[in-house]
Amino acid sequence: MTELFIRLMRKPQGFVGIVLLALIAAACLFGPALAPYAPEKIDFLGRFRAPGWQNWLGADQFGRDILSRLMVGARSTVPLAFIATFVGSAAGATIGVGSAYLGGRTDEAIMRTIDAVMAIPGLLMALLLVSTLGNGAGNAVIAIAVAFAPGMARVTRSAALNVRNQDYVKAAIARGEGAPWIIFREMLPNVMAPIVIESTIRVSFAVMLFATLSFLGVGAQPPASEWGLMVADARQHMHQAPWGLIAPSAAIALTAIAFNLVGDGLRDALNPKDER
Amino acid sequence: MTPVLSIQNYTLDYISSAGPVRVLHDISLEIGPGEVLGLVGESGSGKSSLAWALMRHLPENAREVAGSLRLGDIDLQRLSPGELTRIRGRRLGMVFQDPSTSLNPTLTIGRQITEALIQHRGLKQRDASSLAVNLLGHVDLNNPAAIMRRYPHEISGGEKQRVIIATAFGCRPDVILFDEPTTALDVITGARILALFARLRRETGVAALYISHDLALVTRVADRVAVLERGRLVEQAPAADIFRAPRHANTRALVDAVPRPERRLVHDKPGDQVVLAASDIEVRYGSGRLFRDAPPPATKKIGLEVRGGEILGLVGESGSGKSSMARALTGLARFSGKITFDAHEIHRMRDMNAAYRRDVQIIFQHPDASLNPRHRIDEILSRPLKLYGGHLANIPRLLEQVRLPASYANRWPHQLSGGEKQRIAIARAFAARPKLVICDEITAPLDVSVQAQIIELLLALREETGTAFLFITHDLNLIRQIAHRIAVMRRGEMVDLLPVEDFDADHVHPYTRELMAASPVPVG
Repeated sequence: MTELFIRLMRKPQGFVGIVLLALIAAACLFGPALAPYAPEKIDFLGRFRAPGWQNWLGADQFGRDILSRLMVGARSTVPLAFIATFVGSAAGATIGVGSAYLGGRTDEAIMRTIDAVMAIPGLLMALLLVSTLGNGAGNAVIAIAVAFAPGMARVTRSAALNVRNQDYVKAAIARGEGAPWIIFREMLPNVMAPIVIESTIRVSFAVMLFATLSFLGVGAQPPASEWGLMVADARQHMHQAPWGLIAPSAAIALTAIAFNLVGDGLRDALNPKDER
Repeated sequence: MTPVLSIQNYTLDYISSAGPVRVLHDISLEIGPGEVLGLVGESGSGKSSLAWALMRHLPENAREVAGSLRLGDIDLQRLSPGELTRIRGRRLGMVFQDPSTSLNPTLTIGRQITEALIQHRGLKQRDASSLAVNLLGHVDLNNPAAIMRRYPHEISGGEKQRVIIATAFGCRPDVILFDEPTTALDVITGARILALFARLRRETGVAALYISHDLALVTRVADRVAVLERGRLVEQAPAADIFRAPRHANTRALVDAVPRPERRLVHDKPGDQVVLAASDIEVRYGSGRLFRDAPPPATKKIGLEVRGGEILGLVGESGSGKSSMARALTGLARFSGKITFDAHEIHRMRDMNAAYRRDVQIIFQHPDASLNPRHRIDEILSRPLKLYGGHLANIPRLLEQVRLPASYANRWPHQLSGGEKQRIAIARAFAARPKLVICDEITAPLDVSVQAQIIELLLALREETGTAFLFITHDLNLIRQIAHRIAVMRRGEMVDLLPVEDFDADHVHPYTRELMAASPVPVG
């Protein structure tokens, strides 16, 4: 594990990604303590105040400090998006590799079911689930995980089909290994690269999907300082105060970039052939 | 006489992260007009690097330290990219090892061959097409006009290689580089390609550099042979002499490694009790559909039995169903028929219990693919021990058994050479203490000298454990050295099953005789 981390830190993309992620993690952990203002402190004199010495990233339509809201909001945005992506990817990858391993009619049945699920747009699916399960962050995580799993399953299966034909898998079957070992130890490590890449990209989609759910009123509720909700709120005042839109968008983008960079680094670090 | 191609004191380095690595040391070679020079060496000896240097297509990290490469009076190293395009193909042709990857799968054969002719000989489309048909007919392809319209996947490997040879000769180059042109083909197809090469050479008088790891084969096609060892040229001699009187130790090792049927390596008799008996084994891939008949079975009711400690050879060209047999016997392919093993009858894949799985082990052809790249060697070897009851402390002993140091347990598969990987695969099979080991072309991707070592190892393991082998191969010379009995397969049928002593007799099947004729028996 430490060896993997050292290898990750040696790559430039891994290093930058880890530093960015560390910053974001710090915001998640200590955000409320470090924030210059309370996130819900309304200042009517400072409505739409441009970025300056009072409010570093400006203020929104209620005069709330955007920087403080971002720092506090990190906690309700990033971990949830990460968990949702992780759960969705893990489930999708397991289904994909398992389906490729089983092959034949079973594979056909699983993949056609996945196709049917994919025919429902992710947002609609998430909405459906949240409205049946009830509002709340936990349910939103489940909804997003379910919406992500089919896509992951498809990507993983196509990679796993190649691996399925490799002699080492045949050797494992010939020696009488059980399905769990073959799926998780023989096949899964060899399809990690596309899974890691795909899921790090999806973290940013998850942030946006949370935002959309919040915007539609089934995710986080105002006045929560969830990033997506902040973007949605600032949208109406885009021409008056673009910073209200830019700052949370930039935060989302930065998170996405950080995860992507770490994903790139992880892909290389996980590959034993890469020794530089 | 001025040489067509001359290499003078050529030295080449590859820059790696650990500093420069020298791949060619001070190479000097000359090829006269109409001469064929064979270049022999093990893998990693630098023979392909030399070919790519001549084609001026070296990787980014290559550094030419010294020496010159001249084609006639042209200095190849000084050419601009534009001039190079005019030289490649036109004056210097190349035929690659793997015909399946050297044709573009999205263009028809006709398009690819006429394009080369238009480019290099400045012909009009119409002339190029008619010339192409001529050329394809000249390399003994049936119905060349039809071949012109086909895509590469619609013709066989041997036909593809003929198309490539036709293209190379059609541009009338001064020199053609052949980089192991028959290695990827089966014996009979390879032998036909060699005969074609000999004929075209007589007709056109082209000079050639023929690269191969197989000394026996090179002595049959080349006038002179140069032996390359780790980037150094160790010997150059006329082809007729090199086999009879090799001067350098490395050459002698290469000569000794060539399998000769008359030099038996196994002298004992097999036991009497039958270990495994298979009867009426039929393997089918895919089933019939509404409007399509089921494809013919890959093996047609094959029966064979292996006795205790016996080495049974199974030979045939590619597509003859040899590997399908191996897959049926190890439960990797669905089959019909009956396998009797230790008084236990098996009719389906599901009948194979843990005891059968332990007692019958398989070793695959490609060591790169048969070891999981994400597992270390100790994990790879620990699996059979865990499954079949054994102690993990045995791993060093297993490694020692296949003559590898115990420190290899911590390595990744990609850090090992092909021969070493194959040793690990052998160790994995023997970790289960099997009664029968199925070897599916296990030496085919290896060099001749490595092949000899692997065979020696297998025989030593057999001595220790008394294991029986089902040895699948297309190399008849090799199998005649070690097998007690040999089965010959063609198109899913078994045409011969003979004790090895009877192979020189008259009653062998004509196909078996054809196979024997195609196996290059060393000159001298």
